[in-house]
Amino acid sequence: MLNQRIRRCLEAGASVLVATVDARGIPSCCRASAITADDDLKTVAIYLPVATSQQTIKDIATTHRVAVAATHVIEHVSIQLKGTACTARLAHDDEAALVEDRHQAFGEVLYNIGFPRRLTRSVVHWPAFVIDMKVEEIFEQTPGPNAGARLR
Amino acid sequence: MTPTLRLSDISRCFQGIIPSIIATSDSRGVPNVTHLSQVYFVDDQHVALSCQFFNKTRKNLDENPVACVEVLDPLTLQAYRLRLKFLRSEKSGPLFDRMALRIDAIASHTRMSGVFRLIAADVFAVESVELVEGFLTERVNEPEQQVSVDGMRTEVRGLQFVSERINRACDLESLLTEVLQALEEYFKFTHTSVLLWDEAGRRLVTLASNGYGDSGIGAEVGLGEGLIGTVARERRPLRVTSLEGDLRYARAIRRESADARRTLAAEIPLPGLPDAQSILALPLLVGGRLIGVFMAEDRDPMKFGEWHEAYLEIIANQIALGIDRMLDRPDDVAEPVPVPKRGLASPSARISTAGARCRKFIYYKSDDAIFVDDEYLIRNIPARILWKVLGESKRTGRTDFSNREMRLDSSLGLPPVKDNLESRLILLRHRLQEKCPDCQIVSTARGRFALRAEASIELVER
Repeated sequence: MLNQRIRRCLEAGASVLVATVDARGIPSCCRASAITADDDLKTVAIYLPVATSQQTIKDIATTHRVAVAATHVIEHVSIQLKGTACTARLAHDDEAALVEDRHQAFGEVLYNIGFPRRLTRSVVHWPAFVIDMKVEEIFEQTPGPNAGARLR
Repeated sequence: MTPTLRLSDISRCFQGIIPSIIATSDSRGVPNVTHLSQVYFVDDQHVALSCQFFNKTRKNLDENPVACVEVLDPLTLQAYRLRLKFLRSEKSGPLFDRMALRIDAIASHTRMSGVFRLIAADVFAVESVELVEGFLTERVNEPEQQVSVDGMRTEVRGLQFVSERINRACDLESLLTEVLQALEEYFKFTHTSVLLWDEAGRRLVTLASNGYGDSGIGAEVGLGEGLIGTVARERRPLRVTSLEGDLRYARAIRRESADARRTLAAEIPLPGLPDAQSILALPLLVGGRLIGVFMAEDRDPMKFGEWHEAYLEIIANQIALGIDRMLDRPDDVAEPVPVPKRGLASPSARISTAGARCRKFIYYKSDDAIFVDDEYLIRNIPARILWKVLGESKRTGRTDFSNREMRLDSSLGLPPVKDNLESRLILLRHRLQEKCPDCQIVSTARGRFALRAEASIELVER
């Protein structure tokens, strides 16, 4: 079972960042709209806006390498998942509600720290790609002396 | 086609209001991604990132010196991606100092000095800047430009207005009060304060404030303590945007450090607005000599831009010169210092009123502090001045005093030069007004003051 600390970083409202790398070793990044995990955190599904993740999808097609940082914004508790992308596909219509809920929850978190809802509502989150990722390593990423420690 | 962007076109992204993202990769092609609290604009071809911990990002850059950074405009939320090439780490110099000031100030404020610090300023060449197409459903309209011709006219008039008030001020108290009021009137700086450097006590003391329920007059800050103390120690201006975000970040490190069983002291509460989002603190200097610190704060994280910093530096210089002029001014005492007439009947009668409230002043010698009715009033040199005045009145019935006789009394411990006597008297007056309004020190002429008591006074020394 995931421990509480890791679970908090994957809750609705978390900030989710994705990094990939191309065949030449050039990294790219984008923001994800949502993340879901199975109970043992062996796999995660990451939802990326189609409009802003073209390079990410290209990189995955060639190198399969993915890093995901998930952060509880208010408490600055953060983890990093590293692994390989198993599949990348367009999200189905029945996944739209999940992405919408997560997007709104993140908007509320930002609203609570001072960002107007009209701004966060304007961030594109659908249609989305879904990357199914096999999680191979988990690292502590909360700023401080333990940052970088391997959690799994 | 997207027009070519310059870094200076997206300068708002570099104010540290919204955390940025950095992606790197090691030599084996394993990517890494993390938040960055701030990307520093160096020039149109370069940015700098703060290296605070020897983390994975840092290791990756040593192996593979390229990075992708995404920044957001805090007003429109538009995203921009920068392709960077790592050039060098600077561990000293102007860029390092500028970046370290903010980190040191936040670290000191949260009592994290030494743990939360800048190790190096990592400098990158910017190879491309691109607007992330499709990030927003529609482009948010750009806010109006900060400086319009009309705005500049207002600001020049404002400068003229503030300058004129500084020049015509007849004493230090009116100078500070009028300047802070003028800053609110002309520039909507609604929460401001001025702290003066007390060389003898090696502390900054709040001498004037505007916009706070409690004046905070008399509040002290040590050199290097918190945001204000850091500005005083470094003698450099500090502009902090998104203060809450910085504090959350520092508190996270603090919490993690506490988990690692390090011993850390309690956090200093931030003076002023409890929910301040932006702070601008400027050292008041005359020639390199520290006179004090001017501080403005606001709930709007975007309140203070680079332009405000530059503009307020001009005003701060004027305030510093004005204060210095006031503190250097000789006292106009034409007549000799009055000699106490001893032996008069009922000496205490002059400062007591039949049936009036009795105020009990206790001077604690070991703490060099005075309490009134068991409540802290004042300490150090202003306490000694008050004790002298109260004692003299009690013994002789005198109520009129001169600055000159204070300066001649070596027991008060005033420094021989730059004694800040006037500022100490202002502080004393404010503290008396707040804690015992029926016992006042009032200015009667330049260089003269009087004790006005409507309460009977009891003096106890312990």
